[in-house]
Amino acid sequence: MAEQGLEGSGSQPVDLKQHPSGIVPTLQNIVSTVNLDCKLELKAIALQARNAEYNPKRFAAVIMRIREPKTTALIFASGKMVCTGAKSEVQSKLAARKYARIIQKLGFPAKFKDFKIQNIVGSCDVKFPIRLEGLAYSHGAFSSYEPELFPGLIYRMKQPKIVLLIFVSGKIVLTGAKVRGETYEAFENIYPVLTEFRKNQQWYGYVHNSLPFIQSCLSNEGYKHVYFFQLTD
Amino acid sequence: MATFELYRRSTIGMCLTETLDEMVQNGTLSPEIAIQVLVQFDKSMTEALETQVKSKVSIKGHLHTYRFCDNVWTFILQDALFKNEDSQENVGRVKIVACDSKLLSQ
Repeated sequence: MAEQGLEGSGSQPVDLKQHPSGIVPTLQNIVSTVNLDCKLELKAIALQARNAEYNPKRFAAVIMRIREPKTTALIFASGKMVCTGAKSEVQSKLAARKYARIIQKLGFPAKFKDFKIQNIVGSCDVKFPIRLEGLAYSHGAFSSYEPELFPGLIYRMKQPKIVLLIFVSGKIVLTGAKVRGETYEAFENIYPVLTEFRKNQQWYGYVHNSLPFIQSCLSNEGYKHVYFFQLTD
Repeated sequence: MATFELYRRSTIGMCLTETLDEMVQNGTLSPEIAIQVLVQFDKSMTEALETQVKSKVSIKGHLHTYRFCDNVWTFILQDALFKNEDSQENVGRVKIVACDSKLLSQ
């Protein structure tokens, strides 16, 4: 999780052409599908394979897990398979291949047809709080914000077609991408909007007791003169 | 009352089965009676564990393999630590087989 932020993944500098915000969303989950192209005997698979669950009363698939890449597969009798939990497209494909190999070793003539990445989920932290009401109001056509139901704002971007969950804390979740570029593009699209609706902190009450501390923190961050006036958003 | 035959694989169950086999072979017991004894053993084990055993054991280890099929959970643990009130013991490899007793009353 530490690989995200201004420095991007690891110590490599962020490509500011692709990521003008300086922030690269971290990929958290990849969902892929593949067709093994043969009918499967699910009970036989559950009995022979390790780390498998099969409870046909609850779900008509074998749920299997492997440790590397750490993923979960849903294996259906039709030969279709869903692989979830990988952190990159390559890892998702590698995991799907490993599951296909396990099925082959159990004696089924499994192929590896039509592998496809179905969804990519990414997340990041803009590290400032956001006024969700203001954002929801000015982007009403794309936003749904019902704090009584869910604390995040749901932003349905049209181009690229990505759903973003935006939280007061500045934490962002992006989902719906088929390629990671869409995740990045959606984040760069929303970033200026987030800065526009950056929340001014409500320092009142703190200020009397801890003004010297707050000022020292902010001067460490490079602020020279700091004045707090605003009491609400 | 239906019961699991799970406890026949325990040390006490194996001993009983061996003895019954022997008795059937030398003609002191009919096979029908032997089977009846085993069925009673299943019932008695279930009942005894339900009503007479109060102690609790915790088992903690690295989960090497798990399986759920036909309503039976199987776990293989590595380097497990068995703990009860007054003692604890390390075991290199453990296999746990668990059935849902609620399924029997259905």
